[in-house]
Amino acid sequence: MSERKQLLLIDDDPDFVEGIKSILTKAKYDVDVAYNPKDGLAALQKKRYDLLLLDIMMGRGAEGVMIARKMGRDAKLREIPVLIITGIREQIAFLFGSKTMHPHFVDVDEMLEKPVEPKFLLERVASLLELSKRKTRTK
Amino acid sequence: MEKPSKILIIDDEEVVLDSCCQVLDGGRYQIATARDGTAGLRLAQEFGPDLVIVDLKMPGISGFEVLETLRAADPTIVAIVITGYSTVGSAVEAMKKGAFDFLPKPFTPDELRMITERGLERRRLVLETIALRRERETLRENFAAIVSHELKSPLSAVQQNLFGLVAELDDQLSEAQRGRFERLKTRIDDLLKLIQSWLRAVSVPVAKIRESFAPVSVRAPIAKAIETMQPHAVRKDIEIVESAREPLPTVLGDEGSLTEALVNLIGNAVKYTPAGGKVTVTARAEGGAVLISVADNGVGIAAEDLPLVFGDFYRGKAAAGAEAGLGLGLALTRRIVEAHDGAISVESEVGKGTTFLIRLPAPGADKQSRSQT
Repeated sequence: MSERKQLLLIDDDPDFVEGIKSILTKAKYDVDVAYNPKDGLAALQKKRYDLLLLDIMMGRGAEGVMIARKMGRDAKLREIPVLIITGIREQIAFLFGSKTMHPHFVDVDEMLEKPVEPKFLLERVASLLELSKRKTRTK
Repeated sequence: MEKPSKILIIDDEEVVLDSCCQVLDGGRYQIATARDGTAGLRLAQEFGPDLVIVDLKMPGISGFEVLETLRAADPTIVAIVITGYSTVGSAVEAMKKGAFDFLPKPFTPDELRMITERGLERRRLVLETIALRRERETLRENFAAIVSHELKSPLSAVQQNLFGLVAELDDQLSEAQRGRFERLKTRIDDLLKLIQSWLRAVSVPVAKIRESFAPVSVRAPIAKAIETMQPHAVRKDIEIVESAREPLPTVLGDEGSLTEALVNLIGNAVKYTPAGGKVTVTARAEGGAVLISVADNGVGIAAEDLPLVFGDFYRGKAAAGAEAGLGLGLALTRRIVEAHDGAISVESEVGKGTTFLIRLPAPGADKQSRSQT
């Protein structure tokens, strides 16, 4: 049995965080939490994560986008799959059809809209982890 | 102090230009002059006039052409044409082409001053209207953003936490407790859906729809919309009939949002038509436009309600018993149609049925046969 996957969740809403975290913990993932972009980036530097769950609207605006961009520029962090969980998918979906791309043109692996049904959340997390495992293996 | 209004005068007669300048001078206006249409148009670009006074009869390009080019470049420019005496016909023609007023030669200084003042007043009103409209749009969009964050976020957090609790308690929950959680979830889902569709209705980004405009045949959105609503119709034993056989010109539009507009109309028709009824969707070319109508033989809309149907949150009374809508479909439809420079109208008779009519401009269509509306 492989060791437990390490996930990081960055979201500024503590109640939302609780909800996501307990679903993932129950499914036997280790979940770390950061409540703002600064702490989130610090956590990413300190530890190797298998997946990042990222909120977009934090602080004074779309600060989650900044994190995704910084990760894209960092050779090590670029490898970590990002699952965006956002409250504004509706507007995004309307503007961009079914493309999984954020309006600020950040390529992301997946995008889910808040609130996320547990079954859905676990499916996406599992498939992203699987995908990144395969990507690493083919290198 | 406000900036002085800019006036551009185009006339081939030096003496007219001079006297106009003399009459209007006095620091209240900034005046530029040109001796012919070509020079006038060039000057208009860099000078950016509020008001243009142009002689209709000039050598070179005519005042009509100047007028048309000016108005095409900036429809907010107010133009006054100078006409020779006994040429009322050309004055009328100029007004049709967008001139604000005309000044028959010879005119007195007072006539010139008065018509200039009125023209500038018109310009102020036009600009003010545009500014207000823009402000209203911004307000609407900002409001939508605020509602999104302030209402949706906490609800999502509550819902997510509920999901989390159920996951944590999993094996400890009784069937009854699980049922209660399920009902809580449904209630919150409904609220989220309401907020969502309201947001859609107020924030359909018109400019964004326009970005994806391409020539489309309305057949595709009609077919897709019917396909989407067919299961609902079958369940209610309602027949959807399509008749769009004649060749149709293409319209410039966004297929996705046109489909959505039609889904709303057909969905409404199905909802407000009793079992065994019929919904007819037709499309035809007329003049420079494509007309799509969605007609039902359902309950109809009362005359006093007709002016309200395209507003936010209008909901038909007769929907009692049917699944409750949010009263936003038609508002959204209207915004989509308007984004296509189209128009939507409705006719209805209680007990007989309702017909919605969408008119979309079809630039490729034969302009000769444009109907006289």
